Amino acid sequence: MPDRLARLTNLVALLLNARRPLTLEEIAAELDPEAPYPGADEARRQAFERDKRVLREEGIPVEAVSLDGEGGRVGYRIRPEEYQLPDLDLTADERIALHLALAAVPLAGGWGTAAGWKLDGGDGGAGGAGAAGDGVPDVAALAALPSVEALPSLFDGWRRRAPVSFGYHGEERTIDPYGLLFRDGFWYVVGHDHAREALRRFRADRIEGKVRVGAPGEFEVPEGFDPAATLPGQPFRVGEGEAVDVDVAVDAVLAAKVTAEVGEPAVREWRPDGSVVVRVGVTNRAGLRSWVLGMLDHAEVLGPPEVREDVAGWLRAVAGANAGAAS
Amino acid sequence: MAAGCGRSERRGRLVSRGPDAGERLRRLLAIMPWLAARGTATFEEIGERFGMDVATVENELLLAACCGLPPYSPDQLIELVVDEHGVTANVPDYFRRPLHLTAADGFAMLAAGQALLAVPGADEPTSDAGSSSGSGSGRRGPLASALDKLADVLGGSRGVAVELDAPPLLADLRSAADDAERVEVDYYSASRDEVTTRAIDPFAVFAERGHWYVSAYCHRADAVLHFRVDRMRSVRPTGEHFERPDPASAAVPGAVFRPGPGMEQATVVLPAAARWVVETYPTTSVEDLPDGSLRVVLPVSGRAWLERVLLRVGPEARVEGPPELADVGRRAAARVLARYAGATD
Repeated sequence: MPDRLARLTNLVALLLNARRPLTLEEIAAELDPEAPYPGADEARRQAFERDKRVLREEGIPVEAVSLDGEGGRVGYRIRPEEYQLPDLDLTADERIALHLALAAVPLAGGWGTAAGWKLDGGDGGAGGAGAAGDGVPDVAALAALPSVEALPSLFDGWRRRAPVSFGYHGEERTIDPYGLLFRDGFWYVVGHDHAREALRRFRADRIEGKVRVGAPGEFEVPEGFDPAATLPGQPFRVGEGEAVDVDVAVDAVLAAKVTAEVGEPAVREWRPDGSVVVRVGVTNRAGLRSWVLGMLDHAEVLGPPEVREDVAGWLRAVAGANAGAAS
Repeated sequence: MAAGCGRSERRGRLVSRGPDAGERLRRLLAIMPWLAARGTATFEEIGERFGMDVATVENELLLAACCGLPPYSPDQLIELVVDEHGVTANVPDYFRRPLHLTAADGFAMLAAGQALLAVPGADEPTSDAGSSSGSGSGRRGPLASALDKLADVLGGSRGVAVELDAPPLLADLRSAADDAERVEVDYYSASRDEVTTRAIDPFAVFAERGHWYVSAYCHRADAVLHFRVDRMRSVRPTGEHFERPDPASAAVPGAVFRPGPGMEQATVVLPAAARWVVETYPTTSVEDLPDGSLRVVLPVSGRAWLERVLLRVGPEARVEGPPELADVGRRAAARVLARYAGATD
């Protein structure tokens, strides 16, 4: 059995050098007889389809062109300008900085590995010999980011400005992906939802099945769009209603952490015992409750009275829940 | 000598080996531009750069030497010359440029770049980079300017935003780790809800799941522990220094919270709206009940942790066991409620 890699390599070379799209018959006739396609039509078609799929999965832009209109023969080629990475024109410092980033922030699944290889390739003209990186830094991982299967396709949709479709909570959604956001340990995709006609965000790890990427160039990302700005950082800021100012007292033990979280301007009062009172704008009562109760008895809603009563009522319900029930 | 293709000898000798065909193709299409740019390399150097053993490098390159264009006559094949200095490849033009960045490549590069930019001090401008960036903001580091240059091939530089928290004491701990200096810290343990003071030898500082951790030898616990940096209340230098452990025993991301085998397990029935618990914390088992609620078994990292979960889920949460945990939510609620006994402001 000839090695399949030889056939794949020859196939890429052949299609990259094709002046016009080649039919499967032409490809089979041209390819190296030492690593050929099977002779029988059906087996040949299947073997070629498998090879084409591998090429596309590797990101090689195999173009299929209909040669005689509807239902006719199909020709294949790879356009060099689509295959080749353009000259990135990076300085030595910049190239090392990118290598450093890829090494310091590994993605599970090794997604950055091939990206790093490509930084050092290219004939680089006269200075070619010096271009290949010997200076790939050896650094410890600084930040680990989780990989989620949907991310490359979502990114591809953003990069090509192509709508993406996916299943989410059992429903089919189509969005124009405006960007990806990593926050609090989770990846989100933010975009314009076609059916809802509004900006929506989705947890990437909750996407069901494969992401389908539509036709490129279908939308523009709004000028200056920042995915981070679309997602409120604190649970009590989720929601679109009118914000209510709520005062929360936080014990000394958590005062520094909370101040860092809500920002110094939110501080109303530092008390002699080291505790702090912060005023936060709340658009989501349940989110506020969750945030305050996460601090157990180190935090207390001071006012306004109806918000304070909301938390107290919730606590009374928990304190009385299933009292006496055998469990 | 020229590593000729030896074409007819190869017939029947080739076997499919190791990684799948796609992964092998990916490597080969990356090795060729790299070799073209470098001129010459040893099999060892190639193996190290592309994560392959020497025998595999040799096999793949010999195979590449048999590839090329019709009619596959010697002048149409990729030419490999092996001598005592290593291998020199005369790579044809069409394989001299790397393959364009795939979606996964582009995503990884932008995500890694933006993550590192979110780390204070990680992208310091170099002396000449500042002046060469001209009229723009002259204080950008090489990473930021590299990402700008990649914007064309990546579709922009702002499609991926990465947020890591920026706890106030991060810089102190990173410099202590860099200098191998022992520090004394006041640390708030969320699972136990208490502040303790301990001397630690910080080995490494890293972010995982968006939070910063320091992996350190803790003299109080006599063990290597991971501490959340945002729960440090203070960090005091001691002036003492420690021996750095070998890298293998120091921090590795991924080791942050792993339920231990002896950890207490709670069985809790949660309403459907509290599915976030399952998505946020490690679970031992999850069972969907007919009414939409969930029966979950959770490793309990500390009493305070369980209190926090139960208070946030609310009155519909029910601890089924073990019996000594059945009351945890009610007691915690009563304790917090004591703060609400007084009048409102």
